[in-house]
Amino acid sequence: MPALVAALINLSHPGRYVHWGFIQLSVANLVVIALMILVFVLAIALPFPHGKRARR
Amino acid sequence: MSPRRFKPDRDVTEWTGPVARYDLAKEVTISFVVVLLLVIAFAAIFSSPDDHPVTLKSWATAMPVDFVQTAVTELDGTSPTATYGPPYNETPGAGQKIGPVSLARLAGVHIPINTTEDFVIKPLLTLPNAPALDSQVSRYESAGVAQRTSWDAAYEKAIAAASFPGYLKVPSGRYGPVGVMMTNLLAMARSGALDGALLSSPQLYGTDYTKPLLFIADGSYMSDLAANLHLQGDQWGMMNETGNFPGQAWLWLYTMWYQVPPFNTSSSGDALVWAVMMLLTLVLILVPFIPGLRSIPRWVRIYRLIWRRHYRSVTTEAT
Repeated sequence: MPALVAALINLSHPGRYVHWGFIQLSVANLVVIALMILVFVLAIALPFPHGKRARR
Repeated sequence: MSPRRFKPDRDVTEWTGPVARYDLAKEVTISFVVVLLLVIAFAAIFSSPDDHPVTLKSWATAMPVDFVQTAVTELDGTSPTATYGPPYNETPGAGQKIGPVSLARLAGVHIPINTTEDFVIKPLLTLPNAPALDSQVSRYESAGVAQRTSWDAAYEKAIAAASFPGYLKVPSGRYGPVGVMMTNLLAMARSGALDGALLSSPQLYGTDYTKPLLFIADGSYMSDLAANLHLQGDQWGMMNETGNFPGQAWLWLYTMWYQVPPFNTSSSGDALVWAVMMLLTLVLILVPFIPGLRSIPRWVRIYRLIWRRHYRSVTTEAT
């Protein structure tokens, strides 16, 4: 039964951290922040889908 | 009255160009379904943190001597909780301040906690069929302040050299009933009964963990665990989660203040960080009314990237 409910990727082991001066971030948080920035850039860079236009 | 001058960061001209139909309900539905699928997929792939809760039982089992060393400070009223001040008790000079103002002191003691009574004596008196213990507790309660202080001090000195080879081994001393009380409190904690006694509430399912949490926080067990998991305040812990899970990255600004002076050295650090964040939140709310700040989006011109097709057509028409 535990094998059935186990996660495909196990994150329950000691975390890894990066230190830069007084800044201390977990690698997991860094990945999430990088993904957020990527989504932001994509949201700006990708063109809007073309919809039907109507003139009023 | 003459019309006021047009300001591009405050005023807008009416749109007279083409318009397109837009189905907001459709977009909300699609967004909801996409996010739902992502949540299900990520939950299946990564699961979520599931650490065991820290309880008085787990603490007293893992570090019995530390538990008793903390418990005796609850008994003699010298623990961090006992001397915290409002909202738990009246302690002269205690309480964080913003300048001359102590917000906690203004709110007063509204969660009254007497650690001697609430953390030690009352739980001990809930133990059934323990006449010997009850008489020792009565002896302690009926003693004068000087006598109690003497017993407490003697026990604190003895417990500093204590060990736990399967039982609490404390050097002998003139600590009167305190030894029996502490031994019984430890046994109570290791059985799990103390968690229940401190949680007791009128409701069937108690959800108020204030007392056990304060008791646990007075010892070093929970802070050691937190330090290992990078959850301490000086480790940017507010942002972190246990293990390798991502945490609350959006709290980066709140937790950043705790790493720099004067916040990380002030005894009123929490209150000062809160005040700074409230000030910054107020500035954020008032952005549309603050000249200069409200012009930044116009200067940065990211909107021209978002609506680039429109601006390209406007430029083409102009030429």
